[in-house]
Amino acid sequence: MFWSDIYYNFDFLMKGLLVTLKLASISIIGSLIIGIIFGVLRYSRLFPFNIIATMLIELIRSIPLILFIVFVHFGLLPAILGSPASFFQSSCVALTIFTSAYVAEIIRGGLKSIEMGHIDAAKSLGLNYFQRLVYIILPLAITRMMPALVSQFISLIKDTSLASTIGLIELTRSGEIIYERTYHELEILLFIAFIYFLVCYSLSFLSRKLESKPCYSFESKELTTVN
Amino acid sequence: MYELNFSILYNALPAIINGLRITILISLFSSFFAFVIGVILAFLRNTDIPAVRITATVYVELVRNIPLLILLYLFYKGLSNIDINLPSIICGILALSLYTGAFISEVFRSGINSIASEQFEAARGLGLSRRQTFALVIFPQAIRIILPPLGSQFINLIKNSSLVSFIAVTDLFYVIYKGAVDDFRIFEFFIAGTIIYMGLTGIIAIITNLLEYCLKMPGRTIKI
Repeated sequence: MFWSDIYYNFDFLMKGLLVTLKLASISIIGSLIIGIIFGVLRYSRLFPFNIIATMLIELIRSIPLILFIVFVHFGLLPAILGSPASFFQSSCVALTIFTSAYVAEIIRGGLKSIEMGHIDAAKSLGLNYFQRLVYIILPLAITRMMPALVSQFISLIKDTSLASTIGLIELTRSGEIIYERTYHELEILLFIAFIYFLVCYSLSFLSRKLESKPCYSFESKELTTVN
Repeated sequence: MYELNFSILYNALPAIINGLRITILISLFSSFFAFVIGVILAFLRNTDIPAVRITATVYVELVRNIPLLILLYLFYKGLSNIDINLPSIICGILALSLYTGAFISEVFRSGINSIASEQFEAARGLGLSRRQTFALVIFPQAIRIILPPLGSQFINLIKNSSLVSFIAVTDLFYVIYKGAVDDFRIFEFFIAGTIIYMGLTGIIAIITNLLEYCLKMPGRTIKI
């Protein structure tokens, strides 16, 4: 075994990990914002917008991510910007749009799971549609859907490895660069897999914590007083 | 200004059909093996022997938290380091089924766990053996709950099968990508690829819905 490859290239791999984490965190924030907007639009009955949101979400959800990344990098962004985009920009845009379709579906599921009692109570307090959405329904839906959101973000972190295929030097690609030089693929790949596992498992550990501890305790208290 | 010219697809049609055939082949084989692996893992995770249970759990957690691309590379490039050289299509099927099998086992486990334990106790109380309890009471209820997430796992598998193009399998995505990059006809090939993948995933969705409709218990709605 040639584990010394990892030792000598550790800094390079960590630089790659940094790019992966940067890509993941930008995409998580972006997809959360866009996903909430589209989830609410699909949930709402604003006529042209809910149809458009539904169509876009279903379109993106039915294609492989890699097809979308390639399309964004070679087709969409150059067409919009007029010049080729950088690898980081296009993988960021692709991952954000792709994940926001899934986040929108999760948010919509959360919104649909809200009991009518909450909405009626908000109505009787005189809140209008927008206020009901922002102050009552959306916070409830997001807390309820937190485990699903976290697992979606875990798969986003795993999906950042696909950015290596268009040439972004993140964790996977930096590993490739090393083993293309040394031909010791197994050690490097096992090490990269271990790093991905560490990052993703710590997040899924967090999500399990969220699942086991009722993070919406105020809600259950409310329900018991109603009953 | 970019002008769409769909006649370019006509020349690429034989290659696209060939790629589609390989994608369907890989998806079918991987779905079958993933299903088998998922069932076995779910069974192992519910046994009473701690060592087996822990091993199965560790396997599932390990595979679920590693990107599929890395898994594919491990089988294709990593194994050749220890003198195991598999054909790339076998590597693809192997990695896809191991990856999806871990997810399917999780679906099965959650479906079985969602059946209330009273059902189990009642069946045992009526004198059914463990196997009978599972086959006659737990499984028929669980399969109805499992079906929609199982379908979405198979849809994911079809979409994930596009990654085998990076270990030199000429599947549908490979053909689309090659055509798009060779001729600089990104939009045409992308639209064609989108429609084909939508068709494939749509078929699975329709089958899942049909099965769900057929298996529906009369007079009872199942809430998930």
